[in-house]
Amino acid sequence: MFMLAIFIVLILLSFATFFMGARAGVFAKSSAALILILTVVYAFLNFSGTGAGGFTSESTYAFASGIGIYFSIGVDGLTVSLLILSAVISVIALLIANRKEYTASFYGLMLLTETGLFGILLSRDFLFFYIFWEIVLVPMYFIIGRFGGERKDTVSLKFFVYTHIGSVFILLSILTLFSYYYSYSGIFTLQMSTLLNSAFINNSSYLPLFWKDFMLFGFLLGFLVKLPSFPLHSWLPDSYTTAPYPATVMLAGGLSLMGGYGLFGILLPIYSTINSTVLWTLIALGIISLLYFAFTAMFQMNMKRMMAYASASAMGFVTISFAAGILDSTLSIRSIELSGGIFQIVAHGIIMALIFSVLYFMTENTGKENIYQMGGVHREMPWLSSFLLAGFLASLGLPGLAGFIGEFSIVVGMFQTVGWLIFFVILAMIITASYHIWTAQRSLYGAYNENLGKIKDASRSEIAILASVTLVIFVLGIYPNLIFGIISAYVGGII
Amino acid sequence: MNIFSSISYTLHAASQASLYYYPLIFLGIVAFVMLALGIRNLNGKVFAGITFAAVLISMVMILLDPYDEVVVGNNALLFNRFTMFFAVILIISVLYIIFPAIRGLKSKPEIFYATLLFVLIGMLVSAFSYDLIIIFVAFEAVSLGTYVLAGYGKQKRHLEASAKYFFTGTIGTAFTVFGLSFFYTATGTFSLTSEVISSSPAMLIALIFLLIGFGFKLAIFPMHQWAIDAYDGTENSVSAFLSTGTKILAFMILIKIFLVGFAGDYHDIFLLFVILSVFSMTYANLAALSQNNLKRLLAYSSVAQAGYLILVIALVGYTGIGNVAYVAIAAGMFYSLVYIFMKGGSFLAMNLVNRESVSVSDVSGLARKSPITALSFAILLMGLAGIPFTGGFTAKYYLFLSLIEGNLWWLAVIAILNSAISVFYYFRVIMFMFWKEPTGEDHFNLTAYSKAPVIASAVIMVALFFFFYLLPTLNGIAPGLFATMGGI
Repeated sequence: MFMLAIFIVLILLSFATFFMGARAGVFAKSSAALILILTVVYAFLNFSGTGAGGFTSESTYAFASGIGIYFSIGVDGLTVSLLILSAVISVIALLIANRKEYTASFYGLMLLTETGLFGILLSRDFLFFYIFWEIVLVPMYFIIGRFGGERKDTVSLKFFVYTHIGSVFILLSILTLFSYYYSYSGIFTLQMSTLLNSAFINNSSYLPLFWKDFMLFGFLLGFLVKLPSFPLHSWLPDSYTTAPYPATVMLAGGLSLMGGYGLFGILLPIYSTINSTVLWTLIALGIISLLYFAFTAMFQMNMKRMMAYASASAMGFVTISFAAGILDSTLSIRSIELSGGIFQIVAHGIIMALIFSVLYFMTENTGKENIYQMGGVHREMPWLSSFLLAGFLASLGLPGLAGFIGEFSIVVGMFQTVGWLIFFVILAMIITASYHIWTAQRSLYGAYNENLGKIKDASRSEIAILASVTLVIFVLGIYPNLIFGIISAYVGGII
Repeated sequence: MNIFSSISYTLHAASQASLYYYPLIFLGIVAFVMLALGIRNLNGKVFAGITFAAVLISMVMILLDPYDEVVVGNNALLFNRFTMFFAVILIISVLYIIFPAIRGLKSKPEIFYATLLFVLIGMLVSAFSYDLIIIFVAFEAVSLGTYVLAGYGKQKRHLEASAKYFFTGTIGTAFTVFGLSFFYTATGTFSLTSEVISSSPAMLIALIFLLIGFGFKLAIFPMHQWAIDAYDGTENSVSAFLSTGTKILAFMILIKIFLVGFAGDYHDIFLLFVILSVFSMTYANLAALSQNNLKRLLAYSSVAQAGYLILVIALVGYTGIGNVAYVAIAAGMFYSLVYIFMKGGSFLAMNLVNRESVSVSDVSGLARKSPITALSFAILLMGLAGIPFTGGFTAKYYLFLSLIEGNLWWLAVIAILNSAISVFYYFRVIMFMFWKEPTGEDHFNLTAYSKAPVIASAVIMVALFFFFYLLPTLNGIAPGLFATMGGI
């Protein structure tokens, strides 16, 4: 009930923002902060005990019960951590938004995106899940198209159509489950808890083999587009680069979160239906993503574009952990592997939020995004440079920071399954480390590029925002159990 | 049974079910009274008001009719909830354009409105009829009326569009008549009943001719070309009516003729309609991508939408009559209802621009001038694209659901990819509305007459999204289509 109340408040606040005029910015920022506080309080009240990973406060409201449509929400260990993540990145994204051109509709659309993310995570009914899944695209489309950088028209359209095609396949999969469950049981239902039933899906007399594969294919396609994984990524670099920075924060944290939630929230409960060929394909895609995106990132001149690829590369770990985790035979390793994947989603979201925020302030102050146009900026902006370095270090997986925990448990866990293929993963990690450091060296340190002239460092409030994000990354790095405990309880409940 | 006895049956039965004829008679009387009032040179608004009231009253009369099934004559007319549903949505499609049409009326508004009422009578008769002759006559009444409506504008190009529409329409009629005669040769009756189970060559010829004849009116590929020109050339409210009212009418007639009259020939129907619908969707969506003329873009999109609609017929042809078929027909009924609002609303949105032909760039900057109107138009376009929180999403959802239930997954994939393509051109319009600077001088016409229908249909579009409830009801109504076949 409490969560439903938070959700409704969020919806109301985001619509109210549109009518706030000049005060919309302050209103949206405080709304997002309020939602974050409420979500954290909720999480603390319900999930602070050990081993609480299953569903709490699932509640269902009949919407059109004759055709199996219920509005049903529920929170479990996975969704609560992702809810906190989306609340956090929304707060960061809104707090850093400071341009004059950001009107009330900008803030309203940002909050609507958060609403969509909350809706996806909360829905326990497939129809509403899908609706929110689609609706996230609409405000994002408007933000990119209205407030984006160069080529915003074509990029926003490409973003929308590309991810929309992925989504409609999810709809096909949902419809497949729905109609076969009806012919099996005679009940119209779209409840996730009923439809995601391995016994039903695995029995080929209830769900024919072809339709089972069709269903899995649709889900995987939709989720991998959002994640994004290797062959389905071409919307990503353009959208990340063109979107205004606050929206990039939302994209990096929020859209990959959707893909990750799809894998771990929708497909993990029915993991026994996924055969090993599919899983090995996923592992291959994950490794290719890691390597390919890391290489591509290395050759980027534009920092924002480089970090877009870096973000995609980091999500390769999530794909691998999902597939390798299911293939693992040892229960404890399986748990570590899968929890690591979920932790990676959370850590990646916050780290990318930090990096893109710093890049935003740097670009605002210098007017440059290109690595070669920077050079030695640490002399003029020590604060921002240090925060960027912190973000880079976290992103490459330095122990003691949040990025390390996820990657470490994934790599440890997958060794048993993938064997010698781990060589490629290690290679990718080395490349990742090297281009991060190389970029820092070229842009932050060395001789100052005098062409930049006199530039100012971050203001005090900006430093406060960045410092608190860095603190979160640091705390998650040294005490991951804050979230890891909830996640592994969730994973433990499934496997 | 020959033609004459069929007609005499009908006349005889008229006395039995007179209750159902009152709306038709009432509309006819009002139409004649309006023609008579024409000599007083009254304002167009008066006639619009009278027409609106009359149409509204006739709708209430139909809604108040008892819902029991009444068959008149030898299946000449059938009154049940299925036929009444279509009668009501056809009435809505007329109701919709009455006030917006005032703008385009130069002189003699009473003729326009009286013609509209006569057209409506024709529509209602063909909605209730299960006899090919009556359907044909009523449909011709509709066609003749719409030729008049199409030419009723201020500009010369309206006349040109009307002529083009008239010629192709006549060709369509010729095909229909051929089809009817072959149908009669094969079966010995004009009545659409289950006794007509025959797959003789004559029946196949009848099927193809009737398909071409009514396909012209539905404007599906490859019989669509006239529609692009006619919708583009006519007055906005008339094109709204042509692309909603007559289109839904043609769709309903196709459902009746092919699913009831050709019940023995479902295999051919499946093949033909799958081919037509795939081509309609794909061709129209691709053609719309490169359109810069907004009305032509909408016209192509309505060809594509017709392609989605006839998926229903293909699906029923594939599965045969049964539960899945009922779901499919219910989905088609819901789609028709939503379609009227989203397509009609979009065509009426063209009234917002004071230009003879509206190009996509003409709407740029609309969001600055009137954010609410721009948002409403955007909602309608999103409905056409099938984005959630619009009725278009619910309609597409049910359509794809029925396709999956009927095991036609590949058709669902084609349809869904098509709907993803269509997002491109709909969102291009949205992009222009919201982010482009206005071009040239102020050419927007933001009066209440042009704004209200757009906003109202957007509100209805969002409301229809929440009408999940309607489907179980429609699902119960859908078997009424086959009522004349007996035993169902």
